[in-house]
Amino acid sequence: MSRLIEIALGIVTGIGGFLEAGSLATAAQAGAGFRFELIWAVILGATCLAFLVEMCGRLSAISKHTVPDALRERFGFRFFMVPLVVMQLVMLMVLATELGGVALALQMISGVSYRWWSVPVGLLSWALLWKGTFGLIEKGVSVLGLVTLAFVVGALHLHPPFGEVARGALPRLPAHDGAQYWFLAVSILGASISPYLFFFYSAGAVEDRWDVSHLAINRITAGAGMGFGGIVAVGALVLAGMVFHPAGIKVDSYQQLPLLLTSALGHWGFVLFVASLGIACFGAAQEIAVTSAYLMAQGFGWRWSENLPPAEDARFSLSYTAMTAVACLPVLAGVDVLKLTNISMVVSAASLPVVVLPLLVIMNDRRYLRDYCNGWVANTAVTAIVLLAGVLAVVSFPLLIAGGG
Amino acid sequence: MTPHEVHLELLLGRKVHDVEGRAVGRLEDVAVERVDLACEVLEFHVGPHALLERLSLRAVRLFRGRSHGVRRIPWDRLDLSDPRRPRLTCRIEDLPEHPA
Amino acid sequence: MRDMLLVRDVLDKQLVDRRGERAGKVDGVVLIFSPDGPPRVGYLEVGAVTLARRLGRRLGSWASRLAHRWGGAHTESYRIPWNLVRAITLEVSVDVDVEETRINVIEDWLRVHVVEHLPGGRE
Repeated sequence: MSRLIEIALGIVTGIGGFLEAGSLATAAQAGAGFRFELIWAVILGATCLAFLVEMCGRLSAISKHTVPDALRERFGFRFFMVPLVVMQLVMLMVLATELGGVALALQMISGVSYRWWSVPVGLLSWALLWKGTFGLIEKGVSVLGLVTLAFVVGALHLHPPFGEVARGALPRLPAHDGAQYWFLAVSILGASISPYLFFFYSAGAVEDRWDVSHLAINRITAGAGMGFGGIVAVGALVLAGMVFHPAGIKVDSYQQLPLLLTSALGHWGFVLFVASLGIACFGAAQEIAVTSAYLMAQGFGWRWSENLPPAEDARFSLSYTAMTAVACLPVLAGVDVLKLTNISMVVSAASLPVVVLPLLVIMNDRRYLRDYCNGWVANTAVTAIVLLAGVLAVVSFPLLIAGGG
Repeated sequence: MTPHEVHLELLLGRKVHDVEGRAVGRLEDVAVERVDLACEVLEFHVGPHALLERLSLRAVRLFRGRSHGVRRIPWDRLDLSDPRRPRLTCRIEDLPEHPA
Repeated sequence: MRDMLLVRDVLDKQLVDRRGERAGKVDGVVLIFSPDGPPRVGYLEVGAVTLARRLGRRLGSWASRLAHRWGGAHTESYRIPWNLVRAITLEVSVDVDVEETRINVIEDWLRVHVVEHLPGGRE
């Protein structure tokens, strides 16, 4: 029975935790600019994420080592410096956007500028990591994140033309504004396939002491959790397609986004939007900050666990403390959160090869995975993802310049 | 002669030349044998592309066989008095042959 | 004894002490060359200075000078003699109590000087 609860919780966590600043902003911009034409990018992103997350979970369950552990152990310290530095920079940028998202949500209900909210939000995020346990971070905020289902409810409420929506699920070439179209496609993929998610998931499998018996849960959580989570992002995209696109509204600020839900659900839509933005971004901020610490601690072999009090893993705890403190600064300084979101999604997409290519090697290493190495399906999937990541790495920055707007 | 210390991690990837100055490859690994509580070096493994070997890409293995191009150098044939310039104490041709 | 390769099986692997606690990764391996007999593995090294040196000689000397200025011999890399190695699987288990070594000297300093001064840091 408790396994069933674990599975349910895993799926719920996947759904509630999927949407955050990046996926919301990119979905909204995609819907506004291209109606339903980019739904395929969300589906592709969620599918790739599901495969990668399943692999990371399997790796940790069988070997009891995490992805950062394996990156250092298998490839050596000099190689490890590359993903270490790249990922910390990416995570810093994305963390700033998440803190910004929470701050903006608070600005929307209080009228007080988001810049003033940056430090209190950072402090609250830090405090929960400092005093909380892994279970709290993993499940607590993600369960609250179910409020983002409002986007699905809202989208259905507007009775979208299902034929058109379904057609959007098939990849196609843009009819207009090619640069902007592909820029958004890359951003959506960058927002969904975030390496910090695999590191977090992999560390979580070790924190929760997963073993061989959890492989089925792992597969279901990855598949259903990420899969259904993608539906939330599709909901936001469809809403934008029905609310912004016909009116020719271009999204250039988070402040426009409450319209997505107020159009569908009236006044409650506003409350639900603010709650969704605030909670989703807060959850992501927690995950990113702690993952940045996991990456440091696991790469250098320090003691680490969210289930330990900070006094027992000082370097680990101070890592996420420092990361959160630094990430508050851009928001405090008044950075344009949407612009930062767009840039960080692209940078995240470009950084993918650095993580997925080594992962391909690790997932075929019998010393880590024994009899549970990748089969041909998983290998084909991750090879395809590696190729996709390579393409993204090459086109991201040119597209950011050409289509970023 | 006092025993001298060499850091393995600083040897990794260094180019190895033979007694006549010809390149043999890059130092990739060190085969050892545990003898009671001690650990003795048996051979140094030198290969053509240090990075590829470290990655041990299955595809590479399939193409070229298990230990393609990896030369196993017995411990007494490698001179590490200058760890930054490892040299064979013989010519490449004089290395004992090992079956793949 | 099974074939063992130092880079594949020992270097950069997780060290685990006799109580099962994480004690860093193997940052360096010191080989001892003597005139009689094959080289032996002398020590495993754990420490930031050893790591810095792997990134470059200048970085290594700079890190070493910094460590000395800051903490003297206390912050040099810690050496574990090979004869304390017990098992090598995905980790290297050593017959050492990490609390009795200076592997965690930075960790302990941070706990005392930073963590315990922050609210909720004292447990």
